[in-house]
Amino acid sequence: MKKTYRAVGIVASVAMVAAGLVAGTSAADAATKVLTISSDLPLQGSSFDSNDSTNKAIALYLKQIKYKAGKYTVKFKIYDDATAAAASWDPAKCAANAQAHVANKSEVAVMGTYNSGCAKIEIPILNQAPGGAMTMVSDANTNPGLTKAWNPGEPDVYYPTGVRNYARVCTTDDNQGAAAAQFAKSIGVKNVYVLNDTQTYGQGVAQAFTTEAKKIGLNVLSSGAYGEGWDAKQSDYTALFTKIKALNPDMIYVGGIFDNNGGQLMKDKVAVLGDNTAVKFMAPDGFTGYPQFNSMPEANGAYLSFAGLSSDLLAKIDPKGAGANFVKAYKKAYGKAPVGSYPVYGVAAVQVILAAIAKSDGTRKGVTNAIFSGSGITIPAKVSVLGKALSISTLTGDTLAKDVTIEVVKGGQETTLKAQTVK
Amino acid sequence: MSITKKTDSKSRRPKAVKQSASQRKWAIGFIVAAVAIWVFYTYIMVHLPDGAQTIVQNWFPPTALNEAMVWVIAALGLNIVVGYAGLLDLGFVAFWAIGGYTAGWFMSSFFRQVNIHILSTSPKVVPGMHISFWGVIFIGGLICAFFGLIIGAPTLRLKSDYLALVTLGFGEIIPQFFVNGSNIGGFNLTNGTQGISPVDNIGVPGRSLSPFDFSWKFFIFVLLTAFMVFMSLRLRTGRLGRAWLAIREDELAASMMGVPLMRTKLSAYAVGAFSGGVGGVAYATHVGGVFADRFNFSISIILLAMVVLGGMGNVWGVMVGALLLAWINSTGLPAFGDLVNNTFHTTINFPSYNFLLFGGALVLMMLFRREGLIPESRLKAILHEDDESAPEIGGAE
Repeated sequence: MKKTYRAVGIVASVAMVAAGLVAGTSAADAATKVLTISSDLPLQGSSFDSNDSTNKAIALYLKQIKYKAGKYTVKFKIYDDATAAAASWDPAKCAANAQAHVANKSEVAVMGTYNSGCAKIEIPILNQAPGGAMTMVSDANTNPGLTKAWNPGEPDVYYPTGVRNYARVCTTDDNQGAAAAQFAKSIGVKNVYVLNDTQTYGQGVAQAFTTEAKKIGLNVLSSGAYGEGWDAKQSDYTALFTKIKALNPDMIYVGGIFDNNGGQLMKDKVAVLGDNTAVKFMAPDGFTGYPQFNSMPEANGAYLSFAGLSSDLLAKIDPKGAGANFVKAYKKAYGKAPVGSYPVYGVAAVQVILAAIAKSDGTRKGVTNAIFSGSGITIPAKVSVLGKALSISTLTGDTLAKDVTIEVVKGGQETTLKAQTVK
Repeated sequence: MSITKKTDSKSRRPKAVKQSASQRKWAIGFIVAAVAIWVFYTYIMVHLPDGAQTIVQNWFPPTALNEAMVWVIAALGLNIVVGYAGLLDLGFVAFWAIGGYTAGWFMSSFFRQVNIHILSTSPKVVPGMHISFWGVIFIGGLICAFFGLIIGAPTLRLKSDYLALVTLGFGEIIPQFFVNGSNIGGFNLTNGTQGISPVDNIGVPGRSLSPFDFSWKFFIFVLLTAFMVFMSLRLRTGRLGRAWLAIREDELAASMMGVPLMRTKLSAYAVGAFSGGVGGVAYATHVGGVFADRFNFSISIILLAMVVLGGMGNVWGVMVGALLLAWINSTGLPAFGDLVNNTFHTTINFPSYNFLLFGGALVLMMLFRREGLIPESRLKAILHEDDESAPEIGGAE
């Protein structure tokens, strides 16, 4: 008898818990319409610090605005597009995430991705979502081909249904490379040698730099459209720099990301060509946001560019503006400044998504239409965390701003030197 | 000693019969499981309450299942090389990459110079090579089989460690070739690390499968897996399979008994590579693109771990091993991490312990169950021969 009672008890409690779970979710849905927005970033490997900061910044921002977007309440969900086996973004994980975004019925828009390669997989999948394309707004994809004509077939190959569903708040590599070349000329550089990490991003920036440098009359010593590739798997670059030394450049421009053995490259550059005052060293935003890089003694004096406005610059431009205030609030909430400048751009991307949700009928299709049709989305300067008005082109999804920040590594920190607007 | 046991034909016969009966049981189990999963995701899942659907999405998303099936296909190929023929291969990612790029070349708009459409569901106006998935599977498999022969040829005189080193080199060279293949005499063959994307959707009669037709894709991947299993099992019991097993157990003895070493080993590489190529094509269509720098050494190692963990030489064991490890890598660990973090309000980054867990599991397996999760009876017998014969030796002395 006792056994029967116990069995009944167990069954009853299980049933109650199950009923509670089901009832809990349906009751919440009925009260207010809760929409989910998500972030899709690599949270493993060396870009973890920066992306973790981005997620924290978004969570803080949503708390500040009390999770409201127009008449809707928003919830934030975090996705990781990296796997341990790859130690960085993984194509299969990107595809799986894109499908999970669509499968999650309450999800209306995605903030991401961090890597352009991952975006190339996710955009077409989100584009084909049943019931209308789902929008993704990126804080960090700088590859031009995602939104404008670049390689043959781009960008149309990424939008199989013919509808646009991808926007970004950072400027693209072509602008960044061009700004870097203009900056190089302004500090008196005459002969420059260009290197790239043989990846999509690195080659893109290096190509833009090379093209602009030639146009404005710099002497490019490296051959090819995007300079010489360096092999990330090599343990030593002394031979490479010894070869370059014979050509006597004033500056080495490195198109690539720090993850691709950038530390060793930096060390060997200084060992062979001398410190960064003798022969200057400049890299794009693939080298920003890495405390490991900034703390290297060899990195002192290295110039970096960032496709947007750095957190420092936000404070400088308008010390009482929304951007500066947000960075202050972040420091107060988490005890340290956001890592690199992408976290603020992550928030800017979320601002675009929230504005679109407020304008929409709360569906994915509505959000996509809000960004890509009619007057589009503009975040006024008063509230924009970027410190100035942010407008998204309804045709391409690109930001209309072409700001590039030039930074210099000083005393183990990235310090902002100036803003370089592309001419 | 045990020699008498082995040559005793009377005791072997019933065992063989029993084995084929157990194979049949496994095959029926596989079909039943596949049908059950298919029915669940196609018909039952949509009727579940939202809470239950979320749980399924978090722990067993249909896309992770499809990805796991792709791993199974490739692992079955590696099983032929490592499990049947006993040739240690540390560079299987090469075939995975070649298969992937075959899909990239023949199923996308990459070669915009041409406009070829063969039984493809993509619109005729889109330039590039668009060949039906079903054709590309065979093309990919055959190209890989050819490369299997190429890698096999120089390794014929090598054994164990040296062989492993050559395959390791091959596995590093091929992806590197794809990374640097954007300018081969001015011709862009691979698009470098920018990769080729998007790859066409799989076409079935009448329509093209969108990335959300999970059930259809699952059905197709199960079909491919079933074909691989059938091929493996039939080959194993045939003349070629027995020759492979003979080589695995004692190469010298096998060659003395008249097994042609060269032909047998080469065919193991070719058949294994064929499966690897099919897996690569399936992977590219599952993901929707190929990226040269994503084909790294860790893929070879995980595939090998699947084969060893599951049970070298036993297709069912390898299948279970592959499903398990693929699930852990893509879904299991992150989902488990979320559960723990949400329950105890901690912020442990579980996926970063992935390799530690893999390594730990493999060490434990080797200590307590060397023959794998579902061992091959023959291999088990060999591995445990010492245990049985030990007292006999003691007695003889």
